[in-house]
Amino acid sequence: MKQYDAVVIGAGNAGLTAATALQRGGCNTLLLERHNVPGGCGTSFVRGDFEFEVALHQLSGMGTEEKPFIMRKLFHKLGVMDKVEFVQEHALYRLVVPGTLDITLPASWSGIKRLLQERFPDESESIARFMQVCEQITVEGYTALPQARRAGDEATLRATCPCYVQYGLRSAREVLDEFFADAQLKGVLATYWMYIGVPPSMTPFADLAAMFYAYAAFKPWHIKGGSQAMSSALVDSFTEAGGEVRFNCSVEKILTQDGHASGVRLEDGEEVTCDTVVSNISPLMTFNELLDQPLPAPIAQDFKSRRMGTSAFVIYLGLDCTPEELGVEVASTFIYETLDEERIHQSMESLEPPLGGMLTCYNLDDPDFAPTGKSLVALVCLQYGEPWKDVPPPQYAQTKYAFAEKLLTLIEKVFPKVCQHIEEVEVATPLTMMRYLNTPGGAIYGFQQSTQDSALLRERLDAVVPGLYTAGSWTSMGGFQPTYIAGESTARAILKQRAKALEAQHAQEANHD
Amino acid sequence: MTDYNLLKAVAGFSEALQAKKELERNGTDFTQAQGEVRRTVAQLHPKRLALRVAALIDETPSTKTLRMVAEDGSELPPFQAGQYVNLFVEIDGVSTARPYAISSAPSQHQHYDLTVKRAQGGFVSNHLMDCVAAGQHLLSSGPMGTFHHNPLFHGDDLVFLAGGSGSAPARSMLLDILERGLPFRFHLIYVNSYADDVIFAEELRALAQHHTNFRLTELVSRPPAGYQGHSGRLTQELLTNLMAEGGPIDQKMFYICGPTPFNDSGLAMLKALGVPRRRIRVEANGAPKTPHLQPGWPDQVSPDTEVTVTVRGQGSFITRASEPLLNALERNGYGTENACRSGECSLCRVKLVSGSVFNPREAHLRKSDQSFGWVYSCVAFPTSDIEIQL
Repeated sequence: MKQYDAVVIGAGNAGLTAATALQRGGCNTLLLERHNVPGGCGTSFVRGDFEFEVALHQLSGMGTEEKPFIMRKLFHKLGVMDKVEFVQEHALYRLVVPGTLDITLPASWSGIKRLLQERFPDESESIARFMQVCEQITVEGYTALPQARRAGDEATLRATCPCYVQYGLRSAREVLDEFFADAQLKGVLATYWMYIGVPPSMTPFADLAAMFYAYAAFKPWHIKGGSQAMSSALVDSFTEAGGEVRFNCSVEKILTQDGHASGVRLEDGEEVTCDTVVSNISPLMTFNELLDQPLPAPIAQDFKSRRMGTSAFVIYLGLDCTPEELGVEVASTFIYETLDEERIHQSMESLEPPLGGMLTCYNLDDPDFAPTGKSLVALVCLQYGEPWKDVPPPQYAQTKYAFAEKLLTLIEKVFPKVCQHIEEVEVATPLTMMRYLNTPGGAIYGFQQSTQDSALLRERLDAVVPGLYTAGSWTSMGGFQPTYIAGESTARAILKQRAKALEAQHAQEANHD
Repeated sequence: MTDYNLLKAVAGFSEALQAKKELERNGTDFTQAQGEVRRTVAQLHPKRLALRVAALIDETPSTKTLRMVAEDGSELPPFQAGQYVNLFVEIDGVSTARPYAISSAPSQHQHYDLTVKRAQGGFVSNHLMDCVAAGQHLLSSGPMGTFHHNPLFHGDDLVFLAGGSGSAPARSMLLDILERGLPFRFHLIYVNSYADDVIFAEELRALAQHHTNFRLTELVSRPPAGYQGHSGRLTQELLTNLMAEGGPIDQKMFYICGPTPFNDSGLAMLKALGVPRRRIRVEANGAPKTPHLQPGWPDQVSPDTEVTVTVRGQGSFITRASEPLLNALERNGYGTENACRSGECSLCRVKLVSGSVFNPREAHLRKSDQSFGWVYSCVAFPTSDIEIQL
């Protein structure tokens, strides 16, 4: 039986950053992954001449070399900055509502302001105020809010987080309506709701504002070789620090002794002992299926107010034409049939034609991403897993292709040539996500990220079972930046806890001397 | 403890907390969904299938079909015509596997037909031909692979170039088209060495007679005296003539499945005909037999060079440079997950700790695998002493 300080279950983004931070922090760590490659969502696959990025569309939170932001610092701390290269995207996004609206936002906060004020002159003043609020609420959320919460003092909160206090947990819809009259303008500003998975009416304003500001101010980035390169770099850094990783290795049980996490049992029956288990898989699996004890009451209580988050339907395309021939001018194009996000959200619950989708062209800003003269493109629409679970297995393939045709029809409204150059195609449904991510409903962002899901309204699930921690989209926000951060911060909490325990032990030993 | 009292000052907080309580009242702890992910995924993509040989069908002197059913008699997972399963076997204490295309129709949920042709010196094919009997239990992967008709872009004018047992996926595709009444044209150009070794010959000829949308062109490269049909290999001239009929050449979708030289020449002829590469699908065909003839193989290494493979923390053994690493591992009692054994599925990915391997053109490595020293063991050839981590 092998002994480790910590075992991390799952080499998804948060599992990788948790394991790397733990190992580099002096905690002897075993990282277990059931798939044959690291990454979870942060992965790629090869078909013919193409290596397809699975999930990363735009990496947020990097900042530039001159003005680094949180992710650059995090990657540096994890020892991967010299193992990967980043490419900056020149535009934030293009939003097309066919027949209604076609607008491209630059990847520049001041540039966006100028563009929107020109385009919507009647709302010029509101635009300036709104953008000011977005910026301020983001800054408050990152620094002042945690400080005020630690201080636990309302006067401090009001003084240091005025924007958060005024707007924080109101819905994005409500705040947009308060600022603006023009439906098109509101649609443009809310475009990124797709990266959260619920429409503006269900999203806390602070989250949407932070996403909008962070992408624009700290730029959208792209990783050379895709998110798989980051996942592999993290494994490299982890093993360089002495960590041990096993692929093709499922965990059957999380073991406890006297109520404290004590190890894991692998699918082949091998048992590994440790003091700390970090679960990078969904807490539903962790507590309802892996833990060798009944579901702890506080966690059952937490689950009751959770709802299953969205999955996604993706068409990965390798095309034998250039981005120019395809008509792609910016890497990320959102195509919404309507400005009514509620209707788009409703369409995510059925196999009816999707009303919102996006096209990401990976080799526009980074020509290395596809062979010369070709293009690598992903078409995405969000889909809940529910309707897919009912598809009888013999009808699955046909259902998948039939739905893919519907998404292609939507995308062809802006990129009519997309079907004429297909060299490779792979289609992923919510069941594909379920297969590779092992998440209920094939969820890609964890639980439904409604306002009620906000961490501000939640106790941490960590250490309810002492020694058992969770890290990932289910207990933080979904997406790359939040999950990379979540794993590292879980590791920090564990290292702190271990240092404290060690100190207490030394003190006790000193007393005995 | 949460700081609800403090956060009440934040606009929207109290309303959100109220709404959360509402959700709690009519929500569940999700225990009812236990096992759902596992069950749902296993219906489509089981990691392993427990199969039994229901029957052995003699096809030709060189070929048998293994009719495989689920051990428990249940329905098998669906597949797309043209896909394969990886069949796991143990031969003289060596655990290995080979991928076989399913030759039966997808509508047949009770069995998969695996059509196996004896390969000269073939470790597994000879075992399956000679040592497997009805009733025997075998494990396989779930159905996999991308060599199938894709309705998103393949169209309805299909041409299949098959050599030898390459007709196995072609038969499945053909039966699928005919049974589902799909409005496709399917032209099978089927090349064999010997006239008495044409797999599915009678069935294919009968189907071609009865279905106007199925055309069969047979070629025999070593015909007996007096053979009436097309003799010799498939030539550019014959292919050009055959393609003169039907729709425009760049609207057709071509599938090629056969021995590697057959695949290579088929691809070259189609390109010469002006078929865009995107309209040609070539089935993977295992590790290259002559990796040392490919560009990039180091000059100073002969295919018979002996190299030592060390499996970190487990042991070491000696093998030849021209033996695929995965085969060498298996022969020496090691192993890793695998499926396509042709450098495509990446399941056999292992870490190269030290030393060098040759990655042939078959190895569809990720860019980051190359930069961080991961190789696909099924098509990796050790060109020096190496250490790997399983």
